[in-house]
Amino acid sequence: MCIAFPVEILDITPGPMPMGHVDHAGERVSCCLAYVPEAQIGDFVIVQNGFAMDVIDAQSVAESLAAFDELAGHVPAA
Amino acid sequence: MIQHVDLSQVVDAAPARVVVTRDTSGEVTNVGFDLSGLPRVDAMLVGRPVVEVPALVEHLCGICPAAHHLAGVRALESLAGSAVVPPTAVAVRRLLHYASVIAIHATSLIVTHQDEALALRRFAKAVMTAAGSPGHFPSTAVPGGVVAPVDASQRDLCVALAADTLLVAQRLAERELSAVALPDLFNGADVALVDDDGYVDLFGEFLRATASDGSLVIAGARADQWDELVAEAVPGSSAPRPYLKPLGSGSGAYRVGPVAQLRVGVMPTPVAASFQQMWRQSGGGAASARAVVTVHAVEAIAWLLGTPGLDEGPVRTDWSSDLPAAVGVGWVDGARGLLVHRYSTTENSRVAAATILTPTAQNEPWLGELLRAAVGDTTGDEARAGLEEAIHEADPCLPCSSAPAGAMDLVVDTVSASTAVKGA
Repeated sequence: MCIAFPVEILDITPGPMPMGHVDHAGERVSCCLAYVPEAQIGDFVIVQNGFAMDVIDAQSVAESLAAFDELAGHVPAA
Repeated sequence: MIQHVDLSQVVDAAPARVVVTRDTSGEVTNVGFDLSGLPRVDAMLVGRPVVEVPALVEHLCGICPAAHHLAGVRALESLAGSAVVPPTAVAVRRLLHYASVIAIHATSLIVTHQDEALALRRFAKAVMTAAGSPGHFPSTAVPGGVVAPVDASQRDLCVALAADTLLVAQRLAERELSAVALPDLFNGADVALVDDDGYVDLFGEFLRATASDGSLVIAGARADQWDELVAEAVPGSSAPRPYLKPLGSGSGAYRVGPVAQLRVGVMPTPVAASFQQMWRQSGGGAASARAVVTVHAVEAIAWLLGTPGLDEGPVRTDWSSDLPAAVGVGWVDGARGLLVHRYSTTENSRVAAATILTPTAQNEPWLGELLRAAVGDTTGDEARAGLEEAIHEADPCLPCSSAPAGAMDLVVDTVSASTAVKGA
């Protein structure tokens, strides 16, 4: 089953195909932000396939992390 | 067996790995795609209250949460026997499902058709909001129905967007149908959901399977017949090799997704049906199939938005979470194809066993054939472009699928037949 995980946006480089860095377990990882033009630095997004798929609210972040914590046991420190 | 999820593989995409097996004379004996990046969570669900499973799974698979949400709720209803879901609730669920299909198909367009992709996603988001799921994770369905009918003002907003969105989807379909498609060499079956008249129905209650020559293998089976329809050759594996039981494990490989959806039956909406005819005449590639299914989803939403009673109840029937020890199966035909949730439960409504069978796992044999055709008689990097094309065609739900042409992080490992046998 494919897996997608919420991460925080650290910076945004605007452009026709906007890119950004997200915080994944303390590492800066690049991803494409073209689908989420409304995204701001500090927002949490769901990332898969190298694309931020959606901006998610705080409650959804908590629910998602809880699901990983419960089943996967591999939730990285925020 | 418990599998742990390697989250580094999720954000920091791992390369696609193709394994080419050659015998001692150098002849290719097998080509496979490494699906180990797709963990199975089935074993982790055992012992949990079954009513919690749909929400848990949809939060892990953040890409198709609506498909897992709807398949999971259907599986819960199946556990309880027959739940009569009110017509308004069925319509609201369908809105969510069609919108999620559009949103996912739009993903493959972002690099080549950014404005169109964003327009499709805006429409999909508005429809999902109207269907009761404004956030990323759906909150529309509950066992027995849905939480609420469609709000009239949100319905009107979607109606205002529908006509222009259909034009966008039609333009994309025309472009995709004019492109050259890969030849369809798959000799397995095609599996998709249909309605009770045999028309393609992404939210259907009947499963249809056709052989590569178009003959019927399964005319229309219900979800509660699942155990008679499909078995996994390697149960619990990331690549479980499911097969159609009526055809046997040796020749029962099948394909799901947009190509299968267009091959098993006729589209029930007029514009998509017209494109479907062109698609069949053009040779039938996957990219154009995705575009035709997107047209259908927009049409279906437009039709649903115009049905009376969408904004009024009743929206649910009584449903007890005190479930018997039973087996329940729920499914939807999502953007990438058939998704199945199968739960068996104990007397105290906990999971005794669970199977989450994804489209990517079901399409692995098809992807293997595409890769093998791409490798052909080549011996090195000259096959690379063809391998990328093959992976885009089968569209596994993995990081590689969204890479632009020529930019896929792809590793090709060649092993000898004797090593492969030893490692199996």
